[in-house]
Amino acid sequence: MTELLALPFLACLVLTGMHVYLGLHVLARGVIFVDLALAQVAALGLTVAILAGHPVQSDAAYWYALAFALGGAALFALTRTREATVPQEAIIGIVYAVSAALAVLVVDRAPQGAEHIKQLLVGSILTVSAADVIALAGLYAAIGALLWWARGPMLEISLNPERAVERGRRMVLWDVAFYGTFALVVTSSVRVAGVLLVFSYLVVPTAIAALLARGVGARLGLGWGLGAAVSGAGLLASWQWDLPTGATIVAAFGAAIGLTAVLFGLARALRAVRTRGAAALAPAWIALGGLVTFAGALLAGFPRADHLWLDALESVAPVVQETFLTAEERAARREALEEIDRGETELARLRAVGEEVRWGARAMDADKEERLRQFIAGRSEIVAGERLVLHALRERARERQRYWVGVPLAILGILPWLALRQRELRR
Amino acid sequence: MTGARAARLALALALGLALAAPALAAGEPLRVVATSTDLQSLVEAVGGDRVAVESLAPPAQDPHAIEVKPGQIARLKRAALLVRVGLDHEPWLAGMLATAGDPRFAPGAPANVDASRGVPLLQTETPRLRADRGVHLHGFGNTHYWLDPENARPITATILEALARERPEERAQFETNRRRFLERLDAGMARWVAALAPYRGTRAVVVHETWPYFAARFGLVIVAAVEPVPGVPPSPATLAALTERMRAAGVPLVLAEPYANASVVREVAERGGARLVTLVPSVAADPAAGDYIGLFDLNVARLVEALAARSSRR
Repeated sequence: MTELLALPFLACLVLTGMHVYLGLHVLARGVIFVDLALAQVAALGLTVAILAGHPVQSDAAYWYALAFALGGAALFALTRTREATVPQEAIIGIVYAVSAALAVLVVDRAPQGAEHIKQLLVGSILTVSAADVIALAGLYAAIGALLWWARGPMLEISLNPERAVERGRRMVLWDVAFYGTFALVVTSSVRVAGVLLVFSYLVVPTAIAALLARGVGARLGLGWGLGAAVSGAGLLASWQWDLPTGATIVAAFGAAIGLTAVLFGLARALRAVRTRGAAALAPAWIALGGLVTFAGALLAGFPRADHLWLDALESVAPVVQETFLTAEERAARREALEEIDRGETELARLRAVGEEVRWGARAMDADKEERLRQFIAGRSEIVAGERLVLHALRERARERQRYWVGVPLAILGILPWLALRQRELRR
Repeated sequence: MTGARAARLALALALGLALAAPALAAGEPLRVVATSTDLQSLVEAVGGDRVAVESLAPPAQDPHAIEVKPGQIARLKRAALLVRVGLDHEPWLAGMLATAGDPRFAPGAPANVDASRGVPLLQTETPRLRADRGVHLHGFGNTHYWLDPENARPITATILEALARERPEERAQFETNRRRFLERLDAGMARWVAALAPYRGTRAVVVHETWPYFAARFGLVIVAAVEPVPGVPPSPATLAALTERMRAAGVPLVLAEPYANASVVREVAERGGARLVTLVPSVAADPAAGDYIGLFDLNVARLVEALAARSSRR
């Protein structure tokens, strides 16, 4: 495991180091989507390179991508005026959409381009090579040193543009430097990690840090720590649950900020209860009641639709469904479950045998192999059939649940609202 | 007076056109639209210079995701025949046909030619009830059947019937063309089988499930796919287990498509200790694969080169 995940983790650390710092600037300037737009412009450059006959992994393709991204960066720097009727976010969005569309038009003329663009956006952090990580680390160390040297004016222009203007700083030049750096970083990172992951590194750690800490230094330190921790957690989750790595890390970032938001919400609710008593929770109760009414009404109205909450409940507590089945149906359900269980064990065993034969760990003549294949096919049809039985039984239960569960739930959900009204009337 | 003259002129023109039209039609090649360059090549093999064929899908792209252009719909409407891979290989085609709204190409209509008819399919064991946790794009069996050259026989037979139905007077010509093509194919088969004979039973890991027909014909054994769902890279645990198994079993080959994710493929080959061979799944996806026969010449040559280099190294 460590042998396979070490390089990706190092790559994640390099990405964290660079992107969290740039993320501070991006968040302060409010140009969140500049990263996606520049990545898309770089992708456009890549398609042009493919059209010109360069392989997608070649250095030439990288220079094309970088040149296009730098062009986009110059455009963003020049359009950042302080009293603009068109906000900069609009320009960023336009650049994103138009360069994505242009890429489609160019790809149409270049064989295989579409596949490569798709791969570029997804990225392949798992299969990053040592050379890639070293090159990236070297480049970002150099950029980091430059940014450290220019930290004063850079931060002032992002965090406090008014004062920078008063001091007579050359805004356009500094903006060109900022967006140019950004273009270089995005083009290099996206090649390794894909657009989604790069965007997550840029925005999520900084956003969480902004919620928890004040001051540039504290936020940067917290962002770095969070970025490293979430990367590690994402990689481990990807290993543990057998999931595609890049998407798992992005989801881990989503979970991290979701968790932070929930904790913040809970803390705020707790504070409200302490100052105003239980009444402070009334809106939450009413919202919860609304959801319950909605779910109940949906079940009563459309029992055959998907009711995911009920499916989940029934898988944990089968009694919720079995209560609404006749004794005969219950027996059929149990039998189907057993049959599925048995069938799947058998299928797993047969598939393993088939695999051993294919990998050469076990010998089997062609006739027998074909029989095995047929047997697996037949068995999986049987299991699928039993699943249909379960499905039919569940539908029957739903027909009864619509009145015995759906209607009561719909009424139950209104109670918090009624109670509140009562109290208000009494007052 | 002028009115009568104009009427006479119009009559003469109409007559002239009516006389010229059949002559023009006989001289014009039959317009055919194929969904892939492979079918295009096979239709050309049977139709010769009596057909003008266009492929809807560009050669080196994932055939499952194609964005149709308005000009293609216009050309489809002008075409006499649509030849498609069939099964569920072209999910975009249904929408295109609905937009074209041409009853001639309705599913099951004679002008809508399904080339998979008469082809024995592989990997049909995905349960039709669809409850199995199968990572499998193809519900009716694997659709890459043109990659077994033997399947060119039933495919060209289907094409021949369709062309002859449109142009009964040219049937003899089509039959001659097909016979000549099959002679070339037989010669090719002998070449390819002989070249790969020393390597029968060689195990290979594929990137996508594109090669079962090719492998079955030439005696390769496909042990696993790196990306059973195209576009979703393998998880680290899968990758580790796969490459470990490759080393243990001594799998010598990783077969990739030209559009496969280069870094994933390289990693699998390096860790698994196998040689990476890029095979071309469609005519014209590589300049060296100019037609159907050339496609196999190229793929067999690449395989032989890789396997020979490996056995000489040992």
